[in-house]
Amino acid sequence: MSRLKALAGVTATAVITLVGWSCDANRTAVAPPIGRPLLHYDVFACVPLKMTGGGRIDYPPGSAEKNPPASHEFETFGAHVMGSGQADANGTCLADKGALEWVDHRPEMRLNGSPLNLHATSITFAELATDTDCSEGAVHWGGRLRVQNTGQEELQFEVWDCDNGEPGAGHDGFGIRVWDPIDGIGLYEVTCFDPDLPPAEPSCTLTGGNRQFHPTH
Amino acid sequence: MKTLNWILVLLWVLPGWLAGQSPNAEAFGVSVRTVTLNQKTPSAVLPADGSVAQTQASDLTVATLVTAQDAFATAAGAADGTQSDAFSSATLGTVSILNGLITADGVVAMASSASGNSNAEGSSLANLVVNGIQVSDPAPNTRLNLAGVGYVVLNEQIATSGGMTVNMIHVVLQQTVLGIKRTTGEIVVGSAASSVN
Repeated sequence: MSRLKALAGVTATAVITLVGWSCDANRTAVAPPIGRPLLHYDVFACVPLKMTGGGRIDYPPGSAEKNPPASHEFETFGAHVMGSGQADANGTCLADKGALEWVDHRPEMRLNGSPLNLHATSITFAELATDTDCSEGAVHWGGRLRVQNTGQEELQFEVWDCDNGEPGAGHDGFGIRVWDPIDGIGLYEVTCFDPDLPPAEPSCTLTGGNRQFHPTH
Repeated sequence: MKTLNWILVLLWVLPGWLAGQSPNAEAFGVSVRTVTLNQKTPSAVLPADGSVAQTQASDLTVATLVTAQDAFATAAGAADGTQSDAFSSATLGTVSILNGLITADGVVAMASSASGNSNAEGSSLANLVVNGIQVSDPAPNTRLNLAGVGYVVLNEQIATSGGMTVNMIHVVLQQTVLGIKRTTGEIVVGSAASSVN
């Protein structure tokens, strides 16, 4: 009987844990749960690589469905990164070069009378994520950017980038977080932490365009 | 023997062709071409070494023909043999063409090409009104006549060699001269083109 009680206790604990975790995972993407490892983009390799192309994301919610056009709830971007495959003394996987042009068309993100427009000024790191469901390749990369609306500079950012085959719409993914507050907006990110949302959290699903992974540069 | 010859030719040509695949991408917000006017702005073309190009214009006015806000043009891609890719997009906010004959609250033209696949996914029109009539989600290459002006093609999608061109609003200006309709100009709002050849 005591064994059964113990088993029941363990089972109950497991169930409570699973339910709590699933509720946590189903939360609409805002800030990442602190201390919880991602299901994806947790294991990396420092290898030469390139990711190119651009696209559209309809966030929120960041799924494969486009929001009603009149809502203007969408983002568009062009992004290019070349990873060197070399790590510095701190183990940071260095990028050779890259570019990011990001526009957030949401009315609530307008700044100085224009859509929020972010422009990367330097790409400092790029590493291959080896634990995603992205069939062609996934890259975690980032650097520093400028807010074109105001000229605010040297904001650190990171990207979760995913090529999940062709066509890109409905399959590829892209997510971005700016670590430093944007004047007039605050902390900014377009990320999708729902593990049920393809292709790999925290990247959001593309609703247009394409991400193209290149295993060399 | 003829079949063998063709196979040999193909084997000789194909590797070179594949290695030399080159991407092209171009986008622009507004283009107006008439007898007296030839303007295209903002526009972005994929750089020769790949990467990303973007230009923008906050407020656009082209003669008395077009006004637009928040126009962005973006082109991206890279040459990499069979993994070459090309992407372009043009996005605009409020648009008015021919003194309000055609209006929209948002225009997105998007074209991407890679691995033999090209598509216009991501393209959209918000609150499009043509001659006072709301037009929702027009099918590709929807043509509407504009009495006394010409006609407009909405969500125009044109297959090109290795890719496609998307023109979200393409107005063809016409005049009847001596009983014959002649094209006198054209206006394009929201254009994106991509190809990999």
